[in-house]
Amino acid sequence: MSTAMPNADRPKGLTLADILVTLVVAVVFGIIYRIWNPMYDILKPLGLHAEQLSYGMWFMAGTFAFLLIRKPGAALLAETAAAALEAFMGGSWGASTLVYGVLQGLGAEIIFAAFLYRKAGPIVTVLASLGSAFVSIFIDAHYSYIDKMTAWNYTLFVSMRLLGSVVIAGLFAWALAKALERTGVLSLIRPASAKDYEALG
Amino acid sequence: MHLTFSHRETWLHRVNPTLKLAVSVLLFVAALFVHNPNVMALLAAASLLPLLATGHPPLRVLLYASPFLLVFISSASGMIMFGTGATLWFELGLIRITEESFYRGLHLGLRSLQVAAVGLAFALTTRPVALFYSLMQQLRMPSKYAYSFLAALNMVPLLADEFFTLRQALQIRGAGPGRKGIYGRLRMYALPLLAQSIRRAQRTAAAMEARRFRSGSGKRTYYYVYGWSRIDALYAVSIAALWLLAWLLGTHYPLLAATDVR
Repeated sequence: MSTAMPNADRPKGLTLADILVTLVVAVVFGIIYRIWNPMYDILKPLGLHAEQLSYGMWFMAGTFAFLLIRKPGAALLAETAAAALEAFMGGSWGASTLVYGVLQGLGAEIIFAAFLYRKAGPIVTVLASLGSAFVSIFIDAHYSYIDKMTAWNYTLFVSMRLLGSVVIAGLFAWALAKALERTGVLSLIRPASAKDYEALG
Repeated sequence: MHLTFSHRETWLHRVNPTLKLAVSVLLFVAALFVHNPNVMALLAAASLLPLLATGHPPLRVLLYASPFLLVFISSASGMIMFGTGATLWFELGLIRITEESFYRGLHLGLRSLQVAAVGLAFALTTRPVALFYSLMQQLRMPSKYAYSFLAALNMVPLLADEFFTLRQALQIRGAGPGRKGIYGRLRMYALPLLAQSIRRAQRTAAAMEARRFRSGSGKRTYYYVYGWSRIDALYAVSIAALWLLAWLLGTHYPLLAATDVR
């Protein structure tokens, strides 16, 4: 995936085109989020947290949008918008989705910001997905009293969610963005050479 | 979005969308500080009540609300079976149901029910266009975000069309299910759909800018104007009254043995 350095002639903030691309991607993910929602609820009553492996799906809009746009605010905007759409379509967690969305977006955004928005390799993407995951676990600790589960169950819960985020919102998001890069469509958003990307590894 | 289904407009539709959103989010935050299952049960009931005033036929509301049962079970069961507690009721292998974990699970189920009901009431009575016009006017949300979101929403039907076209094209070329595994098939659909969406977003942005769309340049006028009215006060007061009532009744006349699930 291209550029390590932002293009010199590219405006720093989000342009109208950036926002539109981010939101269109967010809408696609919002629909996926909404479809994902009952699947998760069906698996969950087993209590063995297999459903937590799929939780990373709900962090994907943020990391994926950043990989496309590579600008401050893209991850937060995408994750918020996708969550808002899920709530609008009557998702079963209602308005709470919006709170989760904003904070999970911030979780990913902070990681990308820590690398000054210059790194977009698999490692940073995985870290950002973990940022979202930790924030979601923090809210859940207040919402679902997850710290009041038996120790083995609690550990299983946390590790399954982290693993799911690494695989889906981290590695899968990165692979998908890389594949999209090869179609050439991303040169519309940020024209750059492929050489910089190779340097990132 | 249930926009395509006909329904009556009720007073809940006329509440300012920004206020409705703020109240819905606040109710979620407030629910985080309720630890008494008696109060939670009444709050859940109080949140289901507005669903009757959404102007949709009762049967349809029941249909929309049917996943609530699943939400209740899925939120409650894990905690009931694997929560911590001292008074043991039942044990089977890893499953260990205690009095504390049972009430905590029940509390969680009720809390999820409450949150889901508030969300559904909001979704059933608020059109996205109304919400974003109101956010621009009441919270000064930059118009480039609001209009972009609405534009993106309008692309959903196009996206659905493209999905079906793509599926037919793939079928004709013999790329049916069972080939290439899940990841391969996912890419087969995701990549073209995303690429087309990005191109369309770019074209839309160019078209909007060509028509001199600018954020924050001078004063905007709005086709739909949203302000405050007596209905907003009525809405805020009735929600507050329901919560206060639930709080008082739940605290002073508890029906369940547990009063704090922490």
